[in-house]
Amino acid sequence: MALEDVARPSAGGRSIAVAVAAVPLLFVVSGLAIRYAAFASVSEGSGFAAYARALCRWDCAWYIGISELGYERFPIPNQSNVGRWGFFPFYPMLVAAIRVVFPFPTILVATVTSIVCSYAACLVAWPLLEKNMRAYVLYCAFLLSGPFSFHFTTFLTEPLFVLLTSCVFLALKRSSYLAAGVSSALLSATRLVGVLVVFATVIQMFREHREQGGSTLSFPRWVLGRPDLLVAIFISPAGLFAYILFLYLTIGDGFAFLHVQRAFGRVAGNPLVFLWDGLSAVSTTGWLPTAPQWSALAAITGLALSAVLAARRQYGAALFCALCIILPLITNLASMVRYVIGLAPLTMLVAVLLSASRLTYLAALVFFLGACYFMTVAWIGGYLALV
Amino acid sequence: MPWSDIPAPYRRAAWLSGYAFAAVLAGSEIVILALALNPNVNADYRAYYIDQTTTCLNRDAIGSYTLGETVSFRSDGAKRAASIKVCGWSGSAGDGTHSLGETSRLRLEIPPLGHGLAATLQMAAVIRPPQITQRVVISVNGIRAHAVTLSGKEPRMVTFIIPPAALGKTDTLDIAFDYLDGIPQTPAASNIYKRSIKLVSFRLDAIDTD
Repeated sequence: MALEDVARPSAGGRSIAVAVAAVPLLFVVSGLAIRYAAFASVSEGSGFAAYARALCRWDCAWYIGISELGYERFPIPNQSNVGRWGFFPFYPMLVAAIRVVFPFPTILVATVTSIVCSYAACLVAWPLLEKNMRAYVLYCAFLLSGPFSFHFTTFLTEPLFVLLTSCVFLALKRSSYLAAGVSSALLSATRLVGVLVVFATVIQMFREHREQGGSTLSFPRWVLGRPDLLVAIFISPAGLFAYILFLYLTIGDGFAFLHVQRAFGRVAGNPLVFLWDGLSAVSTTGWLPTAPQWSALAAITGLALSAVLAARRQYGAALFCALCIILPLITNLASMVRYVIGLAPLTMLVAVLLSASRLTYLAALVFFLGACYFMTVAWIGGYLALV
Repeated sequence: MPWSDIPAPYRRAAWLSGYAFAAVLAGSEIVILALALNPNVNADYRAYYIDQTTTCLNRDAIGSYTLGETVSFRSDGAKRAASIKVCGWSGSAGDGTHSLGETSRLRLEIPPLGHGLAATLQMAAVIRPPQITQRVVISVNGIRAHAVTLSGKEPRMVTFIIPPAALGKTDTLDIAFDYLDGIPQTPAASNIYKRSIKLVSFRLDAIDTD
């Protein structure tokens, strides 16, 4: 592969930098082309605006509502039980801010912003992938031209979530705890589970402490003696707490984002039972897995990959990913595929594993690009497992 | 930049600032958490979202009504019926308005009464074997007015007299339907999706109570 050639040790740093910037750009273009072809094959409309609208499915409409109208107070207008409170504010706020500068329809602004976020997430992944060009190519292909690339290029929180998650882990890799804390704060305002990344920060601090010869028992004292670490820890959930305060001041219920889940029919239960129910939902009409089966398989695969991360001594990332799967699993399997593929440490791990041999690398690349078309058609068609 | 790289004269100030900022963050988060643990919401919000003691989120909806008028809850009467539906309903559909959850409510404004009231409802049970009957308890202004067991797919006419104690001097009728045999979508599904009856029509008539 030409791209690998550029990355050989003999190649200069400048050509590598160009390749690192060009690879995701290439997949931005190919992804747009493939998804547009899928859109054109099932839709009568044409043009980028129609394409962007067609890919705006499920939660996308909620984010457009938040970006354009903000959050409702209580009682909710139109006799509705479902408020927008369950959807976190940072990404719709960001899109609203960008729309002030570029006054185009919200979905167009959001689509471009999502692509930019995903592109940036790829760039941030380069050092996290240990500058492994094959893995980098696969990761970029997955995000921007892969089977789930519509999740990363429409108005959902996944693009920003992946970008901020990557920023946190890059900052932790460099022991830049304040940068990790600020990224975590933004992450916690993007999705509820974003706040869980603070555990990865604490684990990295512990690891650094141990590497410096510190004992387990002396760790709390070591942290208390470092105000920068304390700031990093306490600033990590700041986005979530800001949102809680906003909800308290406007609705009177700081936990409205949790309580409104009742109106979406989410009920707390045993994750193992939900997994079993999902796996047991066998199709009666064909051999393909049903939507609940895909969701259950995604959760199990995600947890297995988290275990692999732990085996590779990436304990912080492993714990973060496992918690990000288990927490929503407590309510049910809804959106599980999206939640799992939106966990950057897992998708990076998959990219690294698949890039181990040239054969799997090429096969995965071809599969990603080919599946992009069919999965986009399924997404536009409202296939339930992709919600 | 590691804190150890800060020039010595400023290091102490930076440390103190760091501790102060960390304390402000921690303090703010504790205060916000305390506020969130003590929500300042009305009883309806609390009952539906927090305590989850009802599946029917009460609203201040109220529809006007003329005695003797039959309100259709099929698609043809959707607009008229919408004003008196408070919560716990889905539709209207061709076969009536479907109940949703464990309780449904209607609320209507009535003219001053010098007499009693009889209610006539046309309802059908939602049936999914082994559940082949639906028990419904109907209350008016909080007072139990009637209990009925529906069976079969065909709508059934249910007539009952509203207890005078429920009427009093009020000009509002708050009619609650409590379902004892609601059918959940799946064993693990939320109770807000339970199905029990289809309400086809509603009518109130003045009656002589002497």
